[in-house]
Amino acid sequence: MAMRELVTGGAACAVPGSSSSSNPFGNLANAVLSTASKGQDWKELPSSLPTASEAQFYPEAHGQQLPGPDFDQPYMQPGAQSSDFIRNFNSVGGNALLESAWDDVQGSQLPPPMHGPQLMYDRGAAAQLQPTLDGPPQRVLSSFLHSFVETSRGGIPFRPTQLPVLGLSAGDKQCIRDRSSIMARHFFADKSEDFINGQVNALLCSLDIDSDANSKGPLPARFRELEGYWNESQAIQKPGAHATDGWVREFSQHRVDRGDPNVWAQSFEQQHGAHGWASEFEQEQSQLMSADHMRGGNMASLAAMEQTRMLANTLAQNEDPKFQKSRFLQFVSKMSRGELIIDDNQVKQATSSTAGDWAGEYQQQNNAGSNWANEYVHGEVELSRATQWANEFSSEQEQHGSVDDQWVNQFSKLHVDDWAEEFGNQVGQGILGDNSTDSWANAYDEFLNEQVASKQRLDGSRGVYVFSDMNPYVGHPNPLKEGQDMFHKGLLSEAVLALEAEVLKNPDNAEGWRLLGIAHAENDDDQQAIAAMMRAQEADPTNLEVLLALGVSHTNELEQSAALKYLYGWLRNHPKYGVLARPELSDSLYYADVARTFNEAAQMSPDDADVHIVLGVLYNLSREYDKAIESFRTALKLKPQDYSLWNKLGATQANSVQSADAILAYQQALDLKPNYVRAWANMGISYANQGMYDDSIRYYVRALTMNPKADNGWQYLRISLSCASRNDMLEACDSRNLDILQKEFPL
Amino acid sequence: MGSNDELKSEALLEQMKHHLNTDQGKAIAKKIGLVYQINIAPKKLGFNEVAYTIDLKKGEFKKGEYEGGKADAIFSFTDEDFLKIALGKMNPQIAFMRGAMKVKGSMSAAQKFTPDIFPKPSKM
Repeated sequence: MAMRELVTGGAACAVPGSSSSSNPFGNLANAVLSTASKGQDWKELPSSLPTASEAQFYPEAHGQQLPGPDFDQPYMQPGAQSSDFIRNFNSVGGNALLESAWDDVQGSQLPPPMHGPQLMYDRGAAAQLQPTLDGPPQRVLSSFLHSFVETSRGGIPFRPTQLPVLGLSAGDKQCIRDRSSIMARHFFADKSEDFINGQVNALLCSLDIDSDANSKGPLPARFRELEGYWNESQAIQKPGAHATDGWVREFSQHRVDRGDPNVWAQSFEQQHGAHGWASEFEQEQSQLMSADHMRGGNMASLAAMEQTRMLANTLAQNEDPKFQKSRFLQFVSKMSRGELIIDDNQVKQATSSTAGDWAGEYQQQNNAGSNWANEYVHGEVELSRATQWANEFSSEQEQHGSVDDQWVNQFSKLHVDDWAEEFGNQVGQGILGDNSTDSWANAYDEFLNEQVASKQRLDGSRGVYVFSDMNPYVGHPNPLKEGQDMFHKGLLSEAVLALEAEVLKNPDNAEGWRLLGIAHAENDDDQQAIAAMMRAQEADPTNLEVLLALGVSHTNELEQSAALKYLYGWLRNHPKYGVLARPELSDSLYYADVARTFNEAAQMSPDDADVHIVLGVLYNLSREYDKAIESFRTALKLKPQDYSLWNKLGATQANSVQSADAILAYQQALDLKPNYVRAWANMGISYANQGMYDDSIRYYVRALTMNPKADNGWQYLRISLSCASRNDMLEACDSRNLDILQKEFPL
Repeated sequence: MGSNDELKSEALLEQMKHHLNTDQGKAIAKKIGLVYQINIAPKKLGFNEVAYTIDLKKGEFKKGEYEGGKADAIFSFTDEDFLKIALGKMNPQIAFMRGAMKVKGSMSAAQKFTPDIFPKPSKM
């Protein structure tokens, strides 16, 4: 749904009792004025009602400028201009233009939170910098809402304003209250709840609306609200008593059902900028003289299709069965298969057969409107009037589109199960089995995976621990004990779940966090390990094991200064070696000083394995691998049963290109702890670095079987599969299908 | 080492240096037979770049610009993005299309620049 509709009273979120219409401001005007004049307007409209989707079939109307009712003017014109811009952009193809468009595309991959409202504002009310607080009520309300939107751009606190009496009905007030609080949460997604409430209260106060709405839940609640709106809109299926109202309602119902895909498609294209992409792409390609395999095709629709395929794939990866069945997914998958194409921002069927499907689907959804649908399918619509309608729609939808950017983003963040449920019960099929061999398509898929992965990494690198969704150990009487048992049995992934339950119960339990961090490290997930260890350190800042583990994990992630800091922290907090730490060092750590201090410590007590271990890690940091190996070997003489020490030795040997020795060390580690995922993965790395890709694949698959969440493993597996010319297995790798991979590559 | 703001990529490229002396490293050099220069910027492309040369004709790695004439391809990355590419987290084509990787020189040479030429670091 277009966010704008939520704000201004579009049909889908209509509150029962208030009149809804296709035109949001028309709605406001109707509600506010209750005059007969608007009703007159409605009656003049064609009897067969074009819906948003119908506008698709009148592409000639797109961008055409027909006079609408005068309160539509500020929207109509910018809409038309922007389509002019798109046309010019496509035809002119000047470098500067392309570059700026490219920048837009780049930018839109991570749109700033204010993106949607800003665009909406720019298009909708560029001239209205200051709210016009006189004139007819709907004008006042409109400009007042715009000024609210405007403040949201800069995150400026909105001040209550004295407004003339608007005569809003209770239903209108409820509408505005609910929608403004939803909208505000979108605008101020990066702000605190208090700030958002403040903004909304200021708005509502100005409009003399009570702010004690039930819509003030915490952020996740908005999806439930949306569901509520959806249900309401579904509920108003029956035509109203009043002929005009009923008509209007029926119309808006159609718009909801059929309009959605169009809006989605449009916003999707806007977000990803199919045309901009295509042109940029074409330009780059020709520059590089390697355009041969992409030339000649219809760049725009190709690119659009690929974009959609990407989306379809991400969506398909969401394992929620409700979502898998959603109509939106089906729609996107249709687009990705080329059954639907986007042309001039209109959705069209690619073949007449699918057109039939659509019509059928449409009729099923709208039993009430079946007559209408027939008429619509047979094209018996009065063209002149329809054109006007189509035009109004296309201009309106362009505004929706920009706001929908936000919405699409929200949506793609997933966790919208409730909402997705409402999308119907048809199964999206054939998306995963539809992979073409086109390398560019694969590249897009990878791009997508990479985006997902980078998001996860981003969360991880912020040091935010990411909990598992479904945890059977929540509610367990003693999850710490359970976690420790699992850990000692070598059931790392189970131990992780139990320990997560423990730290959810007792967030200050340093031991819970520490063991969780160790379990993640052994499970080959350093980002989670670091996040957990940070929490452990928060709870117990001087725990030596935690400091060492943080030093090791940061070394693994090649984050040298962080690693150095923690390793030095280990020394400083050590009861025996703390005296060696010089306070002046802690401000600016230099590797050489730290190493010297640790050597002093090692001389102090040569029989302390721990100090040799830390020294070994330190030498890894400086890539003095021979010294590191020596330190670890010394430590191993003192602690021969320490499997993680064997792995450290192996990893050091591997990094100093002694891969054959490394494999022996890993084998020692695995003999002591057979479920040591990190050692299995390291085995794979060592074989791959020696060019023995077939062997490496088996070890990677083994490691991934034990912990499918280790992203690194999947990436390495992919490389090894390509190098071993096993491209036939890439798909199984991309879809993370371990059953196939295990059968194909047993160890 | 001595300063703490060393590039992460350098750690990986140092490993590349040793890797080129192994059988596998030699096989890769033989297979590709091109000279790549890599410019790595700590944060933003084009700023404070550090140049490294991966000479897969001779099977050598060194810090600094290529001195034997013109490299077959010169790449520019940020530190993070180079690691992503070398470790298989990002596809070079994607990186290029997104502007995360700049290329000068022969495109066919650039296309042989794939993650499998880099050794993967093992984890302690």
